Amino acid sequence: MSLHAQDDPELRAAQEARLREVWKPPQGLFLRWTDTNNDRVGVWYTLTAFGFMLFAGVLALIMRTQLAVPDNDLVSANSFNQLFTLHGSMMMFLFAVPMFEAVSILILPQLLGARDLPFPRLSAFGYWSFLLGGVFVAGSIFFNEAPDGGWFMYPPLTTRTDLSGLGADIWMLGLSFIEVSSVAAAVELIVGVLKCRPPGMRLNLMPLYAWYILVVAVMILFAFPPLIAGDLLFEMERLLNWPFFDSSRGGDPLLWQHLFWIFGHPEVYIIFLPSIALFAMLVPTFARRHLLGYPWIVLAAVGTAFLSFGLWVHHMFTTGLPKISLAFFSAASEAVVIPTGVQIFVFIATLWAGRVTWSTPLLYATGSLAIFVIGGLTGVMVAVAPFDWQAHDTYFVVAHLHYVLIGGTLMPLFAGLYYYWPLITGKKLSDRLGRIAFWMLFAGANITFFPMHFSGLEGMPRRVFTYPAELGIGGLNLVSTLGAYLFAAGVAVVCLDLALSPRRRPGARNPWGAGTLEWLEDPADDAHWGVRCVPLISSRYPIWDQKDFVKKVDEGRFFLPDAEEGRRETIITTVLDARPLSVVRLGTPSFKPMLTAVALGGVFILTTFHLYWAALVCAFATLFMVLWWLWTGTAEIPEKECKPIGHGMKLPLYISGAAAPGWWAMFITMMADATAFSGLVFGYYFFWTRHADFPPEGMDAAPGAFWPMVALAVALVSWALTVAARQLNAAGAVGVARAALAAGAAFSAYGVYAGLAGPWLSGMDPEAHVYPAIVWTLAVWTAAHSGVAVIMQGYALARSIAGRMTPKYDADVRNITVYMHFFALTALVTYATIGLFPGVS
Amino acid sequence: MRQAAVSVGLLAFLSGCNRHQSALATFGAEAEGIRTITIALVVGAVFIIAIMVGIYWRAVRAPEGQLTHKQGMRLVLWLGGIGPTILLTVILIFALPAMRPRVTAPGDLTIHVEGEQFWWRVGYERPGGGVLVAANEVRVPVGRTVAFELTGRDVIHSFWIPGLAGKMDMIPGRTNSLVARADKPGRYRGVCTEFCGLSHALMAFDVIAMEPAAFYAWLADQSRPAAGARQGQGAQLFAANGCGGCHAIRGTEHDARIGPDLSRYGDRLTLGAGILPPTIERTADFIRAPQDAKPGVRMPAYPQLSHQEARAIAVYLKGLK
Amino acid sequence: MKRGLPGWAQRLRVTLWTLIVPPATWAVHFLFAYLWAAINCAKVGRFATFPTLFVAGTVAALLVILASGWIAWQQSRVPGDPAPHEESTDIDRLRFLAKSTLLLSGLSFVAVIFTALPVVFIGDCR
Repeated sequence: MSLHAQDDPELRAAQEARLREVWKPPQGLFLRWTDTNNDRVGVWYTLTAFGFMLFAGVLALIMRTQLAVPDNDLVSANSFNQLFTLHGSMMMFLFAVPMFEAVSILILPQLLGARDLPFPRLSAFGYWSFLLGGVFVAGSIFFNEAPDGGWFMYPPLTTRTDLSGLGADIWMLGLSFIEVSSVAAAVELIVGVLKCRPPGMRLNLMPLYAWYILVVAVMILFAFPPLIAGDLLFEMERLLNWPFFDSSRGGDPLLWQHLFWIFGHPEVYIIFLPSIALFAMLVPTFARRHLLGYPWIVLAAVGTAFLSFGLWVHHMFTTGLPKISLAFFSAASEAVVIPTGVQIFVFIATLWAGRVTWSTPLLYATGSLAIFVIGGLTGVMVAVAPFDWQAHDTYFVVAHLHYVLIGGTLMPLFAGLYYYWPLITGKKLSDRLGRIAFWMLFAGANITFFPMHFSGLEGMPRRVFTYPAELGIGGLNLVSTLGAYLFAAGVAVVCLDLALSPRRRPGARNPWGAGTLEWLEDPADDAHWGVRCVPLISSRYPIWDQKDFVKKVDEGRFFLPDAEEGRRETIITTVLDARPLSVVRLGTPSFKPMLTAVALGGVFILTTFHLYWAALVCAFATLFMVLWWLWTGTAEIPEKECKPIGHGMKLPLYISGAAAPGWWAMFITMMADATAFSGLVFGYYFFWTRHADFPPEGMDAAPGAFWPMVALAVALVSWALTVAARQLNAAGAVGVARAALAAGAAFSAYGVYAGLAGPWLSGMDPEAHVYPAIVWTLAVWTAAHSGVAVIMQGYALARSIAGRMTPKYDADVRNITVYMHFFALTALVTYATIGLFPGVS
Repeated sequence: MRQAAVSVGLLAFLSGCNRHQSALATFGAEAEGIRTITIALVVGAVFIIAIMVGIYWRAVRAPEGQLTHKQGMRLVLWLGGIGPTILLTVILIFALPAMRPRVTAPGDLTIHVEGEQFWWRVGYERPGGGVLVAANEVRVPVGRTVAFELTGRDVIHSFWIPGLAGKMDMIPGRTNSLVARADKPGRYRGVCTEFCGLSHALMAFDVIAMEPAAFYAWLADQSRPAAGARQGQGAQLFAANGCGGCHAIRGTEHDARIGPDLSRYGDRLTLGAGILPPTIERTADFIRAPQDAKPGVRMPAYPQLSHQEARAIAVYLKGLK
Repeated sequence: MKRGLPGWAQRLRVTLWTLIVPPATWAVHFLFAYLWAAINCAKVGRFATFPTLFVAGTVAALLVILASGWIAWQQSRVPGDPAPHEESTDIDRLRFLAKSTLLLSGLSFVAVIFTALPVVFIGDCR
């Protein structure tokens, strides 16, 4: 298909008709919800997160009303505790993080000139998990059963079942479920950015939004799993009475604080960086020039990501840790200011060098920058440990964090809303209403939160449902409450603006005159193909710089302008230089993601209500769904080896190994898994530093070295057999490879027994002391992975026997080998720790 | 920013004059040191905000091309990178030494405080040995180094006397040390700052900073039994209703350690851990329905007591001076 | 290669992995510092006035960061058109990664120094 062919309008029309047919969304009352296309799922995701934000905002308004005057009794202490816990938890877990995932799913494919992200069904699964978990957590307040231990859920208040009720379980299990969907989104976004860029879009040409998303998604992989590990320990204490946080049996409440804040501080940057990424898109548009200092933004994003993992103890400055430990974190907390400063000045320099055209999005960006700078400066203050000893857990910190999150997340999102609304709906929002709303929000935020700096230093602690009149902070609180209502009214004006949008006339294509790829979208056309053809990129702002770019894309003059085989497809390229590697067939609308989410949700929700048998049934249903989904939807052997994508290029339709998206997805998932595991290992060694004798006297004979060493040997053999199967299969020795997989599965199955035999046969009682509890935890974790290895090896074997895996088309065995690498590492660490460390210490 | 200036003025007017529970109205050396740091940081922050506003104003009004690529990069390097690095280094060099706690000497007073839902168990180490147990009130001698040994009994609490020093968490299974020196005599207030359950908001205590001589005289005096009426209806009701099952009163057979020590209830400045005036009426109400004043409180209600009986107990308790 | 610039430093294959060497070095050093202090304080209760292990770790971290910064600097001098490096060419991609690595080295260097400061100013385990 040469360039000339695309000169033929009839051919183009035929291509468009085929593409339209292939990408047509499913219709019908039920079927429409089986859609997996990013434009639909992204919109659902965004609207749901926005809805949760409004809900959590109303909770805050009730709180502010209660606190308007001293000694108020509008709501009871019990209700108030539920209100602030849910407000914080929802804003973090149901709004800020999902919102970034939602917006990214919505616009990232367009930004990268891709038809969709590599795993559309995974996005849909993530969405349904999020919706289900979110409704479960948020709905609990209507039954007066909402979590009431604060969004940080510090034990022992929350682990003692006599002091806390169902709410704690709802928080742990409901939000763990949502964390799963976050990790799923991280996998999707990382692979999307690294492997689905258009040809020519080398790393140095990637839109900055994609850089930020890449960085943030990687952060999720390292930040969320420690919390998942913490959740696991937490629920084992609540449901099984294993004493991880009970000091009377050797546990320590501080372990939770460590695990929580290893998640909790990077979390702040996880929600801040994507919002700044929106700045990085809209600032060049309204400065009418390229962003100045592109590598500086990369420095800032990557630098912030790393440093943000060295800050967690600054939430624990008052826990009595040695001052030297606090000081390390104080120093890192100051260092993280540097990349943040760099980002702000990159934007300022870009505006300075360019020609600024004022617009509503830029107004919001400016306002949020002002608010964020104030929050950042108070952040420098609280990073100074002595100051934090006064400010910690007072309204000063409430003021600080709201300045940071409103300036760093919420207002930039509103800027993004006004900027990208025309992209999604084809209609601009009202500049007039936008400006009115902006000033209400800006004034409201300052009037609400500025006085809190003072009420905090005047001695008002956080999380109090009332305060005495003698404290003299009634006036400050009244002002805060009035400000909160003004802010809420501003949000209402934004909502009104959105509600009026369907009645407005469609606007122009690319109304802001932006230069990046997402603005190729033509709102007049209702096509769902993402992009007419995958362009060849030679600039950071192709619409500005590349000649006749939009016209060429519209006429399908780049790659993959057709869907001859009636399949949804996009191009996979190399990580560094975006050289085309293959064409990948994407998942089509299916109810499987939704049903899998429902089944997995059942596991978490039924466990909350202690319905263990029903939960187990759901677990098997989940396993079945996942296998069915994989069996029918992945690593499909194509009907031909290669297909032409235009310009005389032919690309293979199947790749496996380290170049393939599936391999990357497995690798990334296992990184998250390994991080969660290191959270548990950290627990073991943390208890060792806490106790003079660990393992304690009398318990140190268990689990012994014998069984752990047997289990380790079994795991390593199973791993070696899998690696051998991969090599043999590739070499064409299919029969021997199958035998190796079968033997590997048998060894893995025995590994489950051998792993548990150590603590089991030595009679370790996990309820007696934290030492047996943590040993059991590590053993169960590793044994469970051994069980999953059985399934993996069996799956590859079945694929081979069913003819769905061959020496040439061998993605399955290559992907499970990645799993086995990580499994071998897990087994090595676990069994060396529980089997050998007691002897060493 | 004009807005900010106006609101600062307004706030100064609105904020009243809380002199007893404020990190800005200090009576201790530690809090005073932090106050100085605070003022320095705030002045610096205001200065930086002013610069940022100026630069931003200039940037958005500048004509296209006023700043070349090279100049832009220099702006980012110096104002975004090197400038903050220097500032932050200076802050660290001043802040890190300020983290070092005051040094204690062997003879210094040690006060043990244990947080419980939702009150404070206080123990003073006597100069001659032994520990004087009290509750919900902390007295300190001015001009002397005091070491607080802090722990939590049930859940995590946090011990904060804003005018004296920064806060320190009270964590079950751990003992944290907070060293401070009060400099100005007076009556102040401390609160719990770690969320600890239903009545977290109602967990406070009185702080009295006294001249050393008065303090040690008080400590010696406290060790002898209270003078109040041992006999009478109130004392009988106290015993008959099992109040002694939780509360201790020195010099009587009641020596339980579950609830707050009531040996010198008559001297207390507040009732219910710093939340109510300790009048006879309020005390009687509290005995009959503590939940009304303090949701989630561990003390059971005594609705079976008539108002008059509860009053009798309150009179008895008030007499313990 | 002109004017005798060390050829190997320019030829080294830069990737996303080399980009994160400096901040990863900071992270390792930070973890090392934290564990060193935590284990010393929990198990020994104090640390020496001149903590040899800590100083050695810090110097090693700084050297790694300096080395990767130096390599990045060499690579950023590969001849080509002037900044900004925003062409879709091998050279520009290389120089972009080199520039970013260089900047990250600078930040990581400062961050390691910051992490070392507490040991200078706080001498005990209280």
